[in-house]
Amino acid sequence: MMQDEDFVMIRLTVNGETHRLVVEPRRLLADVLREDLGLTGTNLGCEHGACGACTVLVDGQSVRSCLMFAVQASGHEVMTVEGLAQGGELHPLQKAFWEKQGLQCGFCTPGFLMTAYELLRHNASPSEEEIRYALSGNICRCTGYQHIIEAVQSAAHSMAEAKATVPSSTVA
Amino acid sequence: MKPPKFRYFAPQSVEEALALLAEHVDGARVLAGGQSLVPLMNMRLVQPGVLVDINGINELAYIKAWDGGLAIGTLTRDATLVGDSTVAEHLPLLCEAARHVGHPAIRNRSTAGGSIAHADPAAELPAVMVALNAEFEVRGRSGSRTIPAQDFFKGYLTTDLKEGELLTELRVPGLPSRAGSAFVEFSRREGDYALAGVATVIALDEDGTIADARLGLCSVGPSPVRPRAAEALLRGQRPGSEAWAAAASAVVSVLDNPLSDIHGSADYRRHLAGVLTRKALAIAAERAEGNR
Amino acid sequence: MTTTTDKYTWIGKDIKRREDPDLLTGRAEFTSDVKLPGMLHAAVLRSPYAHARIVSIDTSAAKKVPGVYAVLTGREAIEVIDPVPAFCAEPVVEHAIAVEKVRYAGEAVVAVAAESRYIAEDALELVQIEWEPLPPVIDVLAAMEPDAPRVHDTLPSNVVYDHVFTFGDVDGDFARADHIIQRRLRWPRATAVPMETAGAVCKYDPPSGRMEVWSTTNMLNFVGWLIAGTLRLPPNMVNFYPMYTGGSFGSKHVTSKVIAIAGALSKVTGRPVKFMEDRIDNLTANDSQAADRIYDAQLAVTREGKFLSLRLHTIDDYGAYFVFAITGNTNMMSQISGPYTIGSLETGIKAVLTNKNQQGVFRGAGSDVGNWVLERLVDATSDELGIDGIELRRRNFIQPDQFPYKIPTGNVYDSGNYPGVLDMALQHADLDYWRKEQVRARQEGRYIGIGLSTCQQRSTYSSTEFWFHNPGPFTGLTTTAESVRIGIGPTGGITVTMFSPFWGNSPETVVSQIVGEEFGVDPNSISVAYEGTYQGLPSAGPGGSRMTVMLSGAARGAATKVKEKMCKIAAHLLEASIDDMEVREGRVWVKGTDRSLSIADIGMKAFWNKFDLPADMESGLEGSFTYDHPFTTPPTDDRKDLGVFYPIMGHAVHIPVVEVDINTGQVKFLKYLAVHDVGTVVNPRSLQGQIRGGVAQGIGISLYEEVRYSPDGQNLTATLNDYLLPTVAEVPKIEVYHHVTPSPFTAYGVKGGGEGGRMVAPPAVTRAVEDALKPFGVKIDELPMTPEKIVWWVAQAPAAS
Repeated sequence: MMQDEDFVMIRLTVNGETHRLVVEPRRLLADVLREDLGLTGTNLGCEHGACGACTVLVDGQSVRSCLMFAVQASGHEVMTVEGLAQGGELHPLQKAFWEKQGLQCGFCTPGFLMTAYELLRHNASPSEEEIRYALSGNICRCTGYQHIIEAVQSAAHSMAEAKATVPSSTVA
Repeated sequence: MKPPKFRYFAPQSVEEALALLAEHVDGARVLAGGQSLVPLMNMRLVQPGVLVDINGINELAYIKAWDGGLAIGTLTRDATLVGDSTVAEHLPLLCEAARHVGHPAIRNRSTAGGSIAHADPAAELPAVMVALNAEFEVRGRSGSRTIPAQDFFKGYLTTDLKEGELLTELRVPGLPSRAGSAFVEFSRREGDYALAGVATVIALDEDGTIADARLGLCSVGPSPVRPRAAEALLRGQRPGSEAWAAAASAVVSVLDNPLSDIHGSADYRRHLAGVLTRKALAIAAERAEGNR
Repeated sequence: MTTTTDKYTWIGKDIKRREDPDLLTGRAEFTSDVKLPGMLHAAVLRSPYAHARIVSIDTSAAKKVPGVYAVLTGREAIEVIDPVPAFCAEPVVEHAIAVEKVRYAGEAVVAVAAESRYIAEDALELVQIEWEPLPPVIDVLAAMEPDAPRVHDTLPSNVVYDHVFTFGDVDGDFARADHIIQRRLRWPRATAVPMETAGAVCKYDPPSGRMEVWSTTNMLNFVGWLIAGTLRLPPNMVNFYPMYTGGSFGSKHVTSKVIAIAGALSKVTGRPVKFMEDRIDNLTANDSQAADRIYDAQLAVTREGKFLSLRLHTIDDYGAYFVFAITGNTNMMSQISGPYTIGSLETGIKAVLTNKNQQGVFRGAGSDVGNWVLERLVDATSDELGIDGIELRRRNFIQPDQFPYKIPTGNVYDSGNYPGVLDMALQHADLDYWRKEQVRARQEGRYIGIGLSTCQQRSTYSSTEFWFHNPGPFTGLTTTAESVRIGIGPTGGITVTMFSPFWGNSPETVVSQIVGEEFGVDPNSISVAYEGTYQGLPSAGPGGSRMTVMLSGAARGAATKVKEKMCKIAAHLLEASIDDMEVREGRVWVKGTDRSLSIADIGMKAFWNKFDLPADMESGLEGSFTYDHPFTTPPTDDRKDLGVFYPIMGHAVHIPVVEVDINTGQVKFLKYLAVHDVGTVVNPRSLQGQIRGGVAQGIGISLYEEVRYSPDGQNLTATLNDYLLPTVAEVPKIEVYHHVTPSPFTAYGVKGGGEGGRMVAPPAVTRAVEDALKPFGVKIDELPMTPEKIVWWVAQAPAAS
């Protein structure tokens, strides 16, 4: 039987909701998100950090959720693909990926969305070169990447436009 | 591919960490960025009974001025090395090298200290540290000691770190005036481990000849290679392709044990070392000219 | 330019994919996302040896780990499951979990079901196995030696297939030729590596003897019944659910091993069991490794460069098992002579077993190799005869007025306009500019190369292809169907049901565009559903670039039935003649009048108003159609004519421009142009995505990808750090243009185009690198063209003028 000291209590805030969980320290963040919290949008492509499919944001920074233990995320803010759409409205990145067909099988897509989300927060109008550099850690086997780059460019454009039409005092 | 069980501790101070490392001296591993360690654990190639997670030790994440250069806390993330303006200003070589470490999500977690302590022969930072004559602060229960980078790397994945010790600070002296640096590597794909990498600093004299040259190479031996003979050759020379070619030959001639795997044979890596040495020297010299 | 789709409302439109919202929000359920009450997780222990006898296995310690529910060795597994289906194969028996002997490093030897994958792997570490290592046979030529260790003791030799097919007067044509162009060529073993590995959740219900299966298998309504056989269950007691699949590229047609393992564990525990391959499982043991060939290739030509005849002899390393037989080689015979009027050909195929993972099929399924081999010969002809490569190809093209065109093997090409596609490519290629750049660059010591390939991309296989390599009267399967059901509800809502799953292609989008066109309604108003095997109609599923063709035909067939009934009802209600009725814009009209009824009106009558329907009409409004291959014929008994098995023939021209750094060996793309002709295009953006993704995979095998084994059979490319997939940094922008030559045999004239990118890129990229290295006289006979090889080739090559 497992001993109680095999388990740790953690407090994970995911997409704004805080959960109290009891987990073994060895449980990967990806598995806790997928299995304990039912957030199956984050996918596992390799479990050794090489493909980027499992990318989520921790405190706003992209990380490989297959290389982080859930205990390490305790007390931190995690954002997954499920946190992108707000109130049923798709995030501009999701809309752009849809518009540009930036996906085919969709398995790598959540990882790309989170990586692109981080990129656009630091760089509101990235060049194609900068987009390629930022996304080079995410592997897609279906699209050949071009539609993904176009989607990110389109999202950057529409997000900048949206910001420009909103009075600055109301921009978060 | 799930990791085996381990006991987990998350100390909040260096003292606490050292106490834990001393207590669990057999089978305790330090968890910093985890970008090298956790894949090995997921594949069960490494099975530490105890993990000491140092990510909560804020006192280890800093960048301070030191001796014209920088003192860097070992928990500083590679992403910070890439993006921090202090680093860019004082030690652009570090920035340039850190840009090649994996990909953004990797760099957000991987740490300057982790790369040094793990001592993968293909890692960029150890070669840079060796080229920059860095020294490392290591702390244990019994006190701290300082180790020159050159003496720290002992072999394949092996360093001078003893059981129970923690790497705490990287001290990198500033560059002389009229100096330029460059980091050049070649890998199969963007972000992959280098097949060969060269870090170099060229300092020029008032008359434009080479006052000092330093080189550090990765992926061409079990540890970073510091080819002193090639450096000696360069001193006093006029910058130009003749000097670079001579230096490159001298570098290649001391590479008796480069890595060899399916991505690149020893011969090919030697060849690349020569090519990249010439390239890096040319860029560094040009930058030094710009700083004259 | 005008296309055939100008006359359509929905076909030819870039509508957004309806598959995307769920995928974008993470709501789509992949196999790994399935969670059932009481579900256990499986892990598999794999052989460290390439060839060994299993002397004993002690699982007692593993069984005692808390949270473990079952541990099965191969011997224990065969008490509840049978060997995996040998799909059209010679008698080579493969067990999902090895019994007695392992034949490749990575073969499964023990499977565990536990509360979590973590615990399952803990248990596997405690399994003790006593091995008797046997000498592995890794080198394919060594495997062919009579005294080589045998991979299967039941077979007399590791050469499991050895036959030469001759079509036409090959000897005569070779005698007549002025020159024989000859090359020895090496195509490396690659593997599909979809981002989602293969896996299954099996839920066995002991009291009823029924099982539910959620799996990545694509051909569930084609081979599901065979997999049920492996599970020792009557097929009508097993429901395979069609799942969203994270890519396949040919690797998930059957996925019988993962289902058999999960199924066996579920039978033994009485609980649902999930087994997902991890990436190492996938790279070492998935049925997705592909053609691994050495070719001795000859092209007989006249001095004017007319291609007369081909001799292609191959040795293909099939690995340790053979459950797909020589599919990769028979596939190639569909288009082996390319777009050229080659009059005769001989192809010798030796399939050899070794202690490696077995081959499956990977996008292109062997015809990708055929394209590369043939274009290498064409490029060699151009070099040796001093005839420009473009001119040479034009001299040998099948002309637009020669279709349908029968090639020497017996397959037919339905339609094509190869000069037209080439012209379109040249229009956009800017070759004059690039040739000048090439000259200028060489003066600076830089090496630019221009490549060109003109290749076939067949679509829509007939199942006869799987059997005709066996001699004698034809007894194999001859059905290659795809079904669609259309139902219309009381408010006129249209639901289309498909019986094959999504694997990254756009079946929902395509079928809703087709049905929208048929009824004249907005595709977005159509509901699309999938059904598994309980409700299953014969459907072979995605693969061989068939889905657009087959879904179009099936959807049209189903729509025709439903529209007929709608017209009967409308005619009855409007008191008109059935011959005067037509369906358009979502209504049924009396032709030439403004009298019509909406689909909703008719739907309601069909559901609620029996008294208003014609006298003997059944209520309801639905129809299903099982569409079989539109044009296939059997082979002759002597196999001098293989029959028509892959006639829906697309074509493409690729023109890449590269720069090669001869110091590092790095290849960078300066331009990539692709012109594809796959008939009528249903969703251009979706097709472009397939083409670009395919080209990325073609660049992969050209420059990065290879499955490598050590001399003692260890898989050296078992992680994604070692098997290198191109990232965004390695794949250039690909300019895509569409040329349209419709098929005369399919609904709307569509042809399949899913594989073309990967099938046409490698010869073009190879030629581009070769062209860049022309000053050094380098001739390229193998892939991948790694940086190290390029540096070596330059160093070794004779300096040319």
